[in-house]
Amino acid sequence: MLTKDILKKALNGERISNEECLQLLNYNDILELGETANEIRSIKNPENYVTFVVDTNPNYTNVCEIDCTFCAFYRHRNEPDAYTYSVDEMIQKFKDAARRGVTTVLLQGGVNPELPFEYYLELVERTRKEVPEIHPHFFSTSEIIGMSEVSGLSVRDVLIRLKEAGLNTIPGGGAEILSDRVKRKISKKKGTSADWLNVMREAHLLGYKTTATMMFGHIETDEDIIFHLDSIRKLQDETGGFTAFIPWSFKPENTPLEKHIKSFASPYRYLQMIAISRIYLDNFPHIQASWFSEGKKIGQVALHFGADDFGGTLEEENVHAAANFVNKSSTEEVIDLIHGAGFDAAQRDTLYNIIKVFRKGVEVKETV
Amino acid sequence: MINFRDKNLIPIWEKVQRGNELTFEDGIALFNSHDVISIGKMAHWLQREKNGDAVYFVVNQKIEPTNICVLSCKFCDFAVKKNSPDAYEMTIESILEKLNPELLEVHITGGLHPDWEWDYYVGMVKEIKNHFPRIDVKAFTAVEIDFFSKKFKKSIEEVLLELKEAGLRTLPGGGAEVFSERVRRLLFNQKIGAKRWLEIHKKAHQLGLRSNATLLYGHIETIEERVNHLLLLRDLQKETNGFLSFIPLAFQPGETGIKPRNQFTSAIDDLKTIAISRLILNNFDHIKAYWVMLTEELAAVALNFGADDMDGTVGGERIAHDAGAVSPMQLAKNKLIKIINDANKIPVERDIFYKPVKLHSKNVIGRVSYLNTLPFFKYLDNREYKIFPAPPRQLGFLFKDGNIDAGIVSLVDYFDKENDFTFLPYGIVGNKNVKSVILYSKFPIEDLNKKNIAVTDETSTSFRLLQVLLEMKYGFDVVYIREKISAREKILPNFDAFLTIGDDALKFIKNKPEDFVYSYDLAQLWFDWKKLPFVFAVWAVKKDLPQNKIEVLNKLLDDSLNKFFSTKNNIEEFYTAKLNLNKKEIEDYLNNITYRLGEEEIKSINLFREYYSKLKSKELMVEKF
Ligand code: SF4
Ligand code: SF4
Repeated sequence: MLTKDILKKALNGERISNEECLQLLNYNDILELGETANEIRSIKNPENYVTFVVDTNPNYTNVCEIDCTFCAFYRHRNEPDAYTYSVDEMIQKFKDAARRGVTTVLLQGGVNPELPFEYYLELVERTRKEVPEIHPHFFSTSEIIGMSEVSGLSVRDVLIRLKEAGLNTIPGGGAEILSDRVKRKISKKKGTSADWLNVMREAHLLGYKTTATMMFGHIETDEDIIFHLDSIRKLQDETGGFTAFIPWSFKPENTPLEKHIKSFASPYRYLQMIAISRIYLDNFPHIQASWFSEGKKIGQVALHFGADDFGGTLEEENVHAAANFVNKSSTEEVIDLIHGAGFDAAQRDTLYNIIKVFRKGVEVKETV
Repeated sequence: MINFRDKNLIPIWEKVQRGNELTFEDGIALFNSHDVISIGKMAHWLQREKNGDAVYFVVNQKIEPTNICVLSCKFCDFAVKKNSPDAYEMTIESILEKLNPELLEVHITGGLHPDWEWDYYVGMVKEIKNHFPRIDVKAFTAVEIDFFSKKFKKSIEEVLLELKEAGLRTLPGGGAEVFSERVRRLLFNQKIGAKRWLEIHKKAHQLGLRSNATLLYGHIETIEERVNHLLLLRDLQKETNGFLSFIPLAFQPGETGIKPRNQFTSAIDDLKTIAISRLILNNFDHIKAYWVMLTEELAAVALNFGADDMDGTVGGERIAHDAGAVSPMQLAKNKLIKIINDANKIPVERDIFYKPVKLHSKNVIGRVSYLNTLPFFKYLDNREYKIFPAPPRQLGFLFKDGNIDAGIVSLVDYFDKENDFTFLPYGIVGNKNVKSVILYSKFPIEDLNKKNIAVTDETSTSFRLLQVLLEMKYGFDVVYIREKISAREKILPNFDAFLTIGDDALKFIKNKPEDFVYSYDLAQLWFDWKKLPFVFAVWAVKKDLPQNKIEVLNKLLDDSLNKFFSTKNNIEEFYTAKLNLNKKEIEDYLNNITYRLGEEEIKSINLFREYYSKLKSKELMVEKF
């Protein structure tokens, strides 16, 4: 099929196949892709606003035994700069964050075998009780699998206990690229693709909402990307539990994986990926632009290539900061960036409910 | 096809395709539009019409001889006063030390120094040319030229001529900021205004210097002021055709106090400004995405929003984090090449006048940048190849250096590379006549012995054909001189005849050059002599391309020709406006050309090959640019 017919088909609301997706991945006219993706975006999310969440992204521990080659963040437990915070310390951090207007805490950490399951439960429970302004968006699939190992409970039972403690959304990290060939190379001690999908499935079936991420621009092939997209599209058909898809490109600095990759994924590839995910993932409500990994300017451009969400304001962000790619941002600045891209900015919560809309042309200072 | 979200842009798109100028109101509508992708698509279309997939860069270096300046413009955090501890002054020797023979261009601007003598400036240009003859000097903004004129009590003309004499080739575009008295009063009231800036560039163009133009945006200017700025530049370009490129510069707040330090222009504003400049400045060949300011990432995106030039290795120092054997400049160059390739464009290393030096890309198809190759390309929709358009001779140089995998190239250039290339059965053939390879002459052709003939600097084969005709048919001895020949400019009164080809030749059809009352179609002369068609160009392909690739290309060309000649209304008004011919005339012109090579054509190629090899390679050409 001609590429333009594939695009037409997608515009008509028909689902595109994996072969067609492969063709799009090899199609380098990003303006054509962007035009279609932007049109689909405006059908799915007709409001002329871009959503964002006021969040913070702290870590409770950087101790990890998984040794993923793309990770610049983790330490082994005996290294001098290894840390693990107590629940009290974390609650204090959340309280400070709440005072600054933060509504969501995206919390992830290393997979630290010394932490008992009770630590995690307490963290969720006390957050709900002591800092009710904050929505806990805690723990990637790797940590959940870690909890299952530490506690001897099944993944499903871990999720049930966490849910009882008050958790109802989890972040989509840890997916990297759902290809066991790649995973064996870059994160061989981490779970398989099936493990990631399985945690997500169980979570969705229990009523959790989650996001899905994809890290590209390392050693994956186009086929790996398609497998990834196909897997999450199928799971979404089954459960409907995904809120948003967040592709981001691998940043090599300070990581062991760096040696095996010649360069960053180009901004072209990123915009192509945003557009293609909007076109292919017809059952995902939102596509998120990852300005913190791609840079603010490219983040803004992505909003015209199919993304309708600008992610979080990230009051504190350790994972990327450690990779020498510091892009801190305040709520004001995020609103400014969205306005600069030509949209109104809508503050949302973790479940994508709109809290407040900041119109373009209205002085932000007065309204924040 | 563009699927406009903003319907207000549709009439603008029609104008763009017709080659009409956009109005002030169009400019405002574009800046007010939220339909960024459609604006980008229009600009990208025009960009490709003008430059195909080429994106240019130059190996260059920036020199700022001093930061001491008599003025203190508000947005400038570069200049200091003489007694400041940060003040510096460079001697000519220290400038020379910063240069190296790899460079093709040096960009010099600096503060307006209160004490330096005129000789210093002239000497600087002269010494650079003496030590580095390959380096072209781009120096001194209009602000500096104005300052020299006042300080040294010379007219603008004298200043420019003395610098030109010393070796200056172009003026940079700085100092234009934004053409608005309002902004000038608020931000740089001691600096020259629009009138003076335009006057200086006009004078420079008249004296044979070329220049660039800039726009500083993203401070306190309005969109009306931006559009107005572009229109004034377009007007001057219409008059002089002296601008090489236009560079929108995003304002960098720094410590200027005009905006918060970290409040940069939005990426969308950057892309729109580049795209809209491309659309409004339809008489500018090149629009630059200045990567040092835009960020590498956004500059890469801009290459699909109308920009076809990345400036150069300037600023390379800043990205040279990897110590080692590679020079910072080489690093910067590699980086630019990667960015451009990532954007699916052809990195074209150029000189100061945009003459291509080297293409850094695979899968390049060369295209003679004339209307007559349209039937091959109009429907050639293949994304595996990138298209590089250039006049025959320039394409020939690149072809001979192995920069091009396939393409329509001038016949004699193909002859020179027959070992490495073969040809597909397509070409550009004048059957009895061709209408676009014309010798205009003051005398009948029989009287051209010992005369001076100007030859367009674009020709490869046509010039050789002229030589064969005059020397072997008529037995004449003639002096040829290469010249830029264009229908816009005054025609070469000092010559007895001149050879023009391609689109320039078409422009003369309705605009006959005065005094040159005789005109000869070279295809006609060849036919009268040999009773054969003349093949000006062939579709050459590298012999070592995989056979299946060659077959695919063969099929693609066959399809595009069939589609072109079976489709009505193929000729966009873009061409009629550009060539000053109506649609019917253009159709007749293309229908008169043969695009497929048959037996007669092959016979003619073989015959001409014999003549070509007999041509004594005597140094008849005086190269003059
Ligand atoms: S990515 Fe997560 S699991 Fe892998 S090493 Fe880093 S912290 Fe551990
Ligand atoms: S004239 Fe140029 S160098 Fe001098 S203050 Fe103004 S902008 Fe700065």
